[in-house]
Amino acid sequence: MTQTRIIPLILLVSLLAAGNIYATGRMSCDSGDKSTWKTKAELIEKITADGWTVRKVKEDGGCYEVYGRDPEDRRVEAYFDPLTLENLLIARRGEILYKKAQ
Amino acid sequence: MKKILNHPWFFWLILALPSIPMTLALSQGSDPEGLLHPSGEFSARLMIIAMMLTPLLLLCRNMNWKTGWVLWLLKRRRALGVAAFCYALLHTLLYILDMWSLQDMLAELPTPGIWTGWLAFAIFIPLALTSNSISVAALGNRWKVLQRGVYLAALFTLVHWIFVHNNPGPALVHFVPLAVLEIYRIVQFAKHRNAETLST
Repeated sequence: MTQTRIIPLILLVSLLAAGNIYATGRMSCDSGDKSTWKTKAELIEKITADGWTVRKVKEDGGCYEVYGRDPEDRRVEAYFDPLTLENLLIARRGEILYKKAQ
Repeated sequence: MKKILNHPWFFWLILALPSIPMTLALSQGSDPEGLLHPSGEFSARLMIIAMMLTPLLLLCRNMNWKTGWVLWLLKRRRALGVAAFCYALLHTLLYILDMWSLQDMLAELPTPGIWTGWLAFAIFIPLALTSNSISVAALGNRWKVLQRGVYLAALFTLVHWIFVHNNPGPALVHFVPLAVLEIYRIVQFAKHRNAETLST
């Protein structure tokens, strides 16, 4: 019977441990009024020239969020500054592959 | 009315409800990626509900609360588990459909958010396959031991959710109630055992 109770205990301890080991991949951009932003078309044009393949562009946290392939041909999710079109973050399923130094 | 509510099909209908908007969205040509989150979330929710029932019954009994509804759900726990598996299967199929490249799937397999998801799904398979009366009878005591694998699946699901989102918030909101009930269960068990030791 004791074993039956140990399993939930392991689950619990792991739960608490798992909660502690995370780093946020969420980006936010201090990009001000949207009228000053470069357009999605400009973003796509620029990064396509840089070697990206764009599948979808969304807005998230004042940044452009791009789903597609990076120049290394990895299927990723990336954030770009809407004012400068600079790449800020590349992540794959939550794993950060690149983050621009602050 | 009671006859309808207690009909097995009624419970299956409730369990199938979340799949209706998902199927509609898919049939209208929606991106499978958009359905990844809801399908995974409902799978986890149903699994968590199924796991909460035993400690919940313990709590209700100790507090002298009504247990009728917990018992009603406990009788249908296997269906909850099978439904959790069906949403996990849908979730996995949507992922494959969205990626549609073995090379891309292999490339992201080592990421903590992905291998944990595959492992949780792999554990779910034998649990779902044995969730029928024939298997329960055939496996006897071993059935319970096998089904305890759900704790491991839950653990991998939690890690999968936290890492894929890179944010523990939503995953913890779902798992904390289960964790609290499990703590309660452990505490109660320890108390009970101490009382037994003292009385002998």
